[in-house]
Amino acid sequence: MKGRKILAAAITLGMTAGVIFGASVNASADYSVSELQVNIWDNNQREGLQQIADEWTKESGVKVQINVVDWDNYWTLLEAGASGGQMPDVFWMHSNTAQLYMENDLLLNLDDYIAADDAIDLSKYYEGVVQLYNSNGVQYALPKDHDTIALLYNKAIFDKYGVEYPTDDWTWEDMLAAAKTITEAGAADGIYGYAINTSNNQDGWYNIIYDYGAQVITDDHKGTTIGSDEGKAAMEMMRQLLEVGAPQTTVAETGTDSLFQSGLTAMITQGSWMINSFYTSENASDYAWAMLPYHDANGNGACDEGERYSAYNGLGWAASYNTADPDAAYSLISWFCSEEQQKKQAELGVTMGGMKGVSEDFANAFPGMDVSAFTRAEEEGDLFFRPYTRNTTVWEDALQQAGAFLDPWQNPSDPELMAQACDNAQTIIENAIANE
Amino acid sequence: MKKMTPTEKSEAKWGLLFVAPTIIGLLVLNLYPIVNTIYQSFCKTGDFGRGNTFVGFANYQKVLTSPETWQALWNTVKYALIEVPFGVVIALILAVLLNKKIGGRSVYRTIFFLPMVCAPAAVAMVWKWLYNTQFGLLNNVFHTKVAWISDPKIAWISIGAIGVWSIIGYNMVLFIGGLQEIPGDYYEAADIDGASGLRQFFSITVPLLSPTTFFIVQTRIIGALTIFDLMFMVMDKTNVALPKVQSIVYLFYQYAFTNGNKGYGATLVVVLLVFIMLLTWILQQAEKKLVYHN
Repeated sequence: MKGRKILAAAITLGMTAGVIFGASVNASADYSVSELQVNIWDNNQREGLQQIADEWTKESGVKVQINVVDWDNYWTLLEAGASGGQMPDVFWMHSNTAQLYMENDLLLNLDDYIAADDAIDLSKYYEGVVQLYNSNGVQYALPKDHDTIALLYNKAIFDKYGVEYPTDDWTWEDMLAAAKTITEAGAADGIYGYAINTSNNQDGWYNIIYDYGAQVITDDHKGTTIGSDEGKAAMEMMRQLLEVGAPQTTVAETGTDSLFQSGLTAMITQGSWMINSFYTSENASDYAWAMLPYHDANGNGACDEGERYSAYNGLGWAASYNTADPDAAYSLISWFCSEEQQKKQAELGVTMGGMKGVSEDFANAFPGMDVSAFTRAEEEGDLFFRPYTRNTTVWEDALQQAGAFLDPWQNPSDPELMAQACDNAQTIIENAIANE
Repeated sequence: MKKMTPTEKSEAKWGLLFVAPTIIGLLVLNLYPIVNTIYQSFCKTGDFGRGNTFVGFANYQKVLTSPETWQALWNTVKYALIEVPFGVVIALILAVLLNKKIGGRSVYRTIFFLPMVCAPAAVAMVWKWLYNTQFGLLNNVFHTKVAWISDPKIAWISIGAIGVWSIIGYNMVLFIGGLQEIPGDYYEAADIDGASGLRQFFSITVPLLSPTTFFIVQTRIIGALTIFDLMFMVMDKTNVALPKVQSIVYLFYQYAFTNGNKGYGATLVVVLLVFIMLLTWILQQAEKKLVYHN
């Protein structure tokens, strides 16, 4: 009884306080709304972003409610919201869908706001990300971040089988040799050298394709060279890696992340957006990052320009076209993308910035874990933007399934199957683009 | 038509008023979407529900000539062939046993009903790990290495088993309700005539329970044919067995929501709707012959 009374008193007090502060805040605010709804899909980032948003709330008096919806449902929900005119005020955009949303005028046109805003200078951000969110000369979102890919390995497994750790000088052949040794030695313990699923595209096999000189989507977003000789050579390398890696049924059922975190896989490739989940794992002290291996195309024994690629992508902060208070929504976006908060985002280890030159601190955000491989990937290697077209998911999903790369993934011992899959992929992408 | 008295009129008015919430709900939440879906199935739908262009039967031509559709329909039927018969027979046996006065009866009833109150997504997640080839409980207990959900030959059975497990409790409760409506006199008379328990079951219980059985079979067939969540939750998109397991509604989800092709998705569900309607009509015809009415 007593406990309940105290609870009731506390609630009453809280509500009263809310009313008082709410009222006082509203009185001084320039905005017509008292709260903005923000949707994101990555729970790892919620805490850091809320912290940044709370700072904005102190200045604006507008509360920020960040809702996390998982990736698949995020898009289902956003599309339903867009069709019904009920989108959140501010939300993330992604290369897979941006074109669709921009062309249908579902995002707030930010041009006038940017022109009037001293804090935002578009030339300071990654060009690929800025361009991505620009349609017919109109800017619909500001770059939130960018990500790169690196190789994640488990030192304990390498030690156990006496294999040398991955280095920055590794070629894909070196990785293949190490993966082979570990898989063969670890067969009795059920340990694999490497694991990759067909769905590990941006963070996996796309990178090899660019290293070998082919492109999943050409620069004009109208074609692909995945079925070219270079593309086939790249996927032949992938096939050999698959031969010594975890079988496809295993990665499809258990997932590469779970395999790695259970100490059953020595190496996986991962995007920088996943660092936090490995940093907070049980055996994080065994984990280390290296740059992705490269392809020594000219055979001079060193990594030259164009031989080591990492995919990069960047999310955008966008606002709904019919948000109740566009000024407030833009103000929040501008806050997230301002230099100071971009630095803070990197410092807090949320992600690397969408602005160039603000991410040095990101490498220090994870004491005890060296994540500089992600920043070095762009300093010492080349970046390519995550391949996208107007309706990316149509071909991207098809590539992961039977009729495309799932077949060679199932039977990696057959080189013909992989070459055939590259030809199929070429057709799938071309047909999808033709239908867009 | 007979004229209504003022009392009847007033009653009719109030009656309508009271069922209005349900009628409005049905119109807005069921009828409107049905009509809209049928309309969309004749359209090349634009993004975000804008700019639909009428294309006649083009979607139907594509859907009906695609082997994927027929495979998915067959997958769905296979799922129903497991879920409905096993779900009904096992539930019936349990209901008969739990209708007797045995100790801990309500405990057993609760246990069998529990799967029904679990969130389907949670159920699917747990089964997904039970079935895991390398680390799953099933393979570890039996010391086998069966790819329960990755082998196209058995994955559909594994998925069906989850369906049976989930639905038994619900069917059982309905059966118990039906059993309690059968007068005890019949069994007493049969006892006196010296009929065995088994004979009583087949000569009294089964025929007198047939209206309940028919209701369950019919609703479960419809339920099973619209299955989606189990496949969606248990099987990864890159699972090699998926093409041999994915249901029509799964295919619909893939096209309508993942690929954003609402028209094609709408066509798929209209095809399913027609299929279910046909099946229901056949069942209704069969009812006259199979169901015993007092």
